[in-house]
Amino acid sequence: MHMTCLNDSHIQALVDGEADGAARAHAAGCARCQARVRERQQLMLALAESVNVPALMPAPLTNRVEAILRVNEDAQPGAGAGRATGATRLRSGHSDGLADPAASGAWRQAGHAQGRRWVYGGVGVAAATLIAVLVVIPATRKRDATLSAAEILAKSASRLSLAVTGGVELLEYELVLSGVPREMMPDGADGTYHVKQAIDHTVRGRFRFASYGPDGAMLTSIAEDPQARRRVFAFTVDGQPYRFDVSLPAHDSGMSLPEMQRLHMEASIAMMQASGNQMVETIDGPHGKQYRIDVPRISGPGTSPVWDLTEARVLIDADDYRVTEFAVSGSFLKQSYSLSYKLISDSVLGSVPADTFGVPAQPGEIVIAGEGSAMPGHDVVVLSLRELTKLKQAR
Amino acid sequence: MERNSEAARELFHEHGAAVYRFAAVLVRHHQDAEDVVQETFLKLLRHLEMGRDTSNVRGWLFTVAAHAARDRQRRRRRWLPWRPAHDRQVAPAALPDEDGRLKSARDALHRLPERDRLLLILRAQGLSYRDIAAAAAINPASVGRLLARAVDRWAAARKDGHAYDLLERQSHPGAR
Repeated sequence: MHMTCLNDSHIQALVDGEADGAARAHAAGCARCQARVRERQQLMLALAESVNVPALMPAPLTNRVEAILRVNEDAQPGAGAGRATGATRLRSGHSDGLADPAASGAWRQAGHAQGRRWVYGGVGVAAATLIAVLVVIPATRKRDATLSAAEILAKSASRLSLAVTGGVELLEYELVLSGVPREMMPDGADGTYHVKQAIDHTVRGRFRFASYGPDGAMLTSIAEDPQARRRVFAFTVDGQPYRFDVSLPAHDSGMSLPEMQRLHMEASIAMMQASGNQMVETIDGPHGKQYRIDVPRISGPGTSPVWDLTEARVLIDADDYRVTEFAVSGSFLKQSYSLSYKLISDSVLGSVPADTFGVPAQPGEIVIAGEGSAMPGHDVVVLSLRELTKLKQAR
Repeated sequence: MERNSEAARELFHEHGAAVYRFAAVLVRHHQDAEDVVQETFLKLLRHLEMGRDTSNVRGWLFTVAAHAARDRQRRRRRWLPWRPAHDRQVAPAALPDEDGRLKSARDALHRLPERDRLLLILRAQGLSYRDIAAAAAINPASVGRLLARAVDRWAAARKDGHAYDLLERQSHPGAR
């Protein structure tokens, strides 16, 4: 290359018609640079050919966008009137300029700063969704829904609400959390969990939940037995395993974790039904026919909604309407969250080994025992503070 | 209001297909590409309602679409992937591609780092360096240099994808 020849940036700029006069003047008189320009032109042509595929815009998309732009025609400036209303609705992720991803990041940071880590993985959101189930869903059920998808969702929701009448249900699934539920998890994992869960349908409220990291190590486990009035909660913080072994109050009629999880899924499906804009398709899955239902985002500005779903999708077994994959993201009380679930196995057994509902001891774990309440997170804080006080007083 | 809506619809007819193509190539996912288009034109309507600058609508549209696509890609990475059989990828172009040239060019494009891919796709849509800088959130003075480098990487990946992957992994361990 001659000392005065153009560099690659100049050559690129020449090809793109963005070069300055000096570069153009040099190229006009330099055969070597002209050859490089031609070579790069060929590359850019090949690139354009591969990128500018003649992908026609799908007609449903054209119709949808046009309809949205027309709906907005009737709206008042900035106020969002004429759009979807109500406390619960599906809406465009960030289209209103209010649900700014940067803002949600800022919220998360603020959450950290305030020490919002609550040690009862995911239950906070589940509990919050319970409010939505009781308060929000009845209001949204009245809305029109696309029949076919809504019917499938309804059958699936019915199946979810039908409690297994006996035996022990063993569930194994993958779970990916981000946003609020991820921050609530006490472990240092990246939000991806392998979960094994046992639910005793003979003894109401008896369950065991255990999450494992990619290396197979147990991250969190909680087991509760209302009959024995005992709850064990084990987790690890900064490499130190802890075990909280508490007695439960009598007449604790609170909801168990599996009940909250089921309600969250039911509530999300009900919201999908309520959107009236579902897309359903039949898929030949590895184990037979399945329905895939997506809820496309629809427009609507945020006016302090209680619960927003920005995305929702579900995969339902066509034989028994069982939910096999499920993912939602959105915000609850303006706190963003996303949850993705993929069922690996689900079985109901008449009898199970004795340790099914036990939490295995971790080497070097610190055991804290005491009286518990209906709120595991509260127990952890109170019992830890008591232990701390005892230690301080002993010095 | 009606005038803004009408203007937005006209712009949708004019640029909608290009934005869709851009999003489809960038996110390679049917529904995400549709969402990018929907979100972009909703924002356009709001932009018009607020009486903001419309001197370079095309550049503005691609900037918004690029940001929306990036958000989709980030969000999707946080989710469990569907089984491949369930994913509805954008159908490949209905072009004669007997020798697989187009496919290898597109495969090479998707081997590149996210920013390189974005720069190349924006340039292939005919955007100026100024508009590319805005859409990719980079310094306008750096566009030529970064674009030239992206083209070189794309050419290398097209020539020998596996060798390119190996080199990239060695240069940036832990990346991608």
